[in-house]
Amino acid sequence: MTEMFSTLFGQNEAQGPPGSSSLGFGPGKPPPPLPQNQVPMAGQMPPQLGDEGPALRKPGAMNEPFYLLRELPVGNELTGNTNLITHYNLEHAYNKFCGKKVKEKLSNFLPELPGMIDCPGTQDGSSLRSLIDKPPVCGNSFSPLTGALLTGFRLHTGPLPEQYRLMHIQPPKKKSKHKHKHHRPQDPLPQETPSDSDPKKKKKKRDDDPDRKKKKKDKKKKKNRHSPDHPGLAGSQPNSNSLR
Amino acid sequence: MAEKFDNLEEHLEKFVENIRQLGIIVSDFQPSSQTGLNQKLNFMISGLQDIEKCRQQLHEINVPLEAFEYIDQGRNPQLYTKECLERALAKNEQVKGKIDTMTKFKSLLISELSKVFPEEMAKYKAIHGDDPPS
Repeated sequence: MTEMFSTLFGQNEAQGPPGSSSLGFGPGKPPPPLPQNQVPMAGQMPPQLGDEGPALRKPGAMNEPFYLLRELPVGNELTGNTNLITHYNLEHAYNKFCGKKVKEKLSNFLPELPGMIDCPGTQDGSSLRSLIDKPPVCGNSFSPLTGALLTGFRLHTGPLPEQYRLMHIQPPKKKSKHKHKHHRPQDPLPQETPSDSDPKKKKKKRDDDPDRKKKKKDKKKKKNRHSPDHPGLAGSQPNSNSLR
Repeated sequence: MAEKFDNLEEHLEKFVENIRQLGIIVSDFQPSSQTGLNQKLNFMISGLQDIEKCRQQLHEINVPLEAFEYIDQGRNPQLYTKECLERALAKNEQVKGKIDTMTKFKSLLISELSKVFPEEMAKYKAIHGDDPPS
């Protein structure tokens, strides 16, 4: 029985799983003892004297008939078995970023930053990557510009050419989107009824329609109440009769 | 920690505002604006000096390069944080699934081996003790 058991594990070890050394089953571990009826193969390493072998083989000898037994991992070790987001108190961050939709554009993250910042930085050479790859050649300190140095910044009067007015371009704000949403359902309507060219008029009509209907109904009710042929009263009579 | 960031944020905001004003002066330059321009240029330099000073306080802060890629693409860097958290949770669940499966497999293997090799498994249990729930 013991031989069978050890042969089972021995065969597995002899096959030598790829990358076994990196997993901690490789060098330093004792080779499987061969069963009595098995001849040692040329590929198998005989135990060498002077190696760390005997010292490591000791626990194996103690754990007869098992030779590949290792200490079980400690139970309180942090593994993927625990929710690591909870473990590191990141629930708040998770709910913040994953609970609701994060806006896609950079201008949503930095709304106060002037200029068009949603364009890729590679287009105008303003990418952070280029700053890392090719850091600017400059000194270690910033010194204020003196009178002589400031002469280089004397500008011509007049407006800046159109292509350089990057600061004035702002990404479109969301307010316009809301407006679009309001108008969108009305846009296809004029196609259906070409006679109503003004959508505002149509909206007014639509809005007024229920009010008008209500008013009409109220008027009718009032009239009916005062008139002798009031259907409500007339209707009540048959009911009272039926009760009797 | 938050104070350090607040300090940097404040300096950056001032710097950006100064640049914005500089842009306005330059966009329609008048001869009388030269003094203001010179002043703004020196404000810019002092702003850079202030930002430089903040660098020492934030020496231990590491920013992942991937976050820079998001900024370079004009995307919200919070999306990077979001994706990181989602990936971490997905991987966490995956690993937990594997651990659970392996735990079940281990207990099943032990029970089956105990049927076939009762003596050996008794010895095994004597060495390792009862199978701890992992």
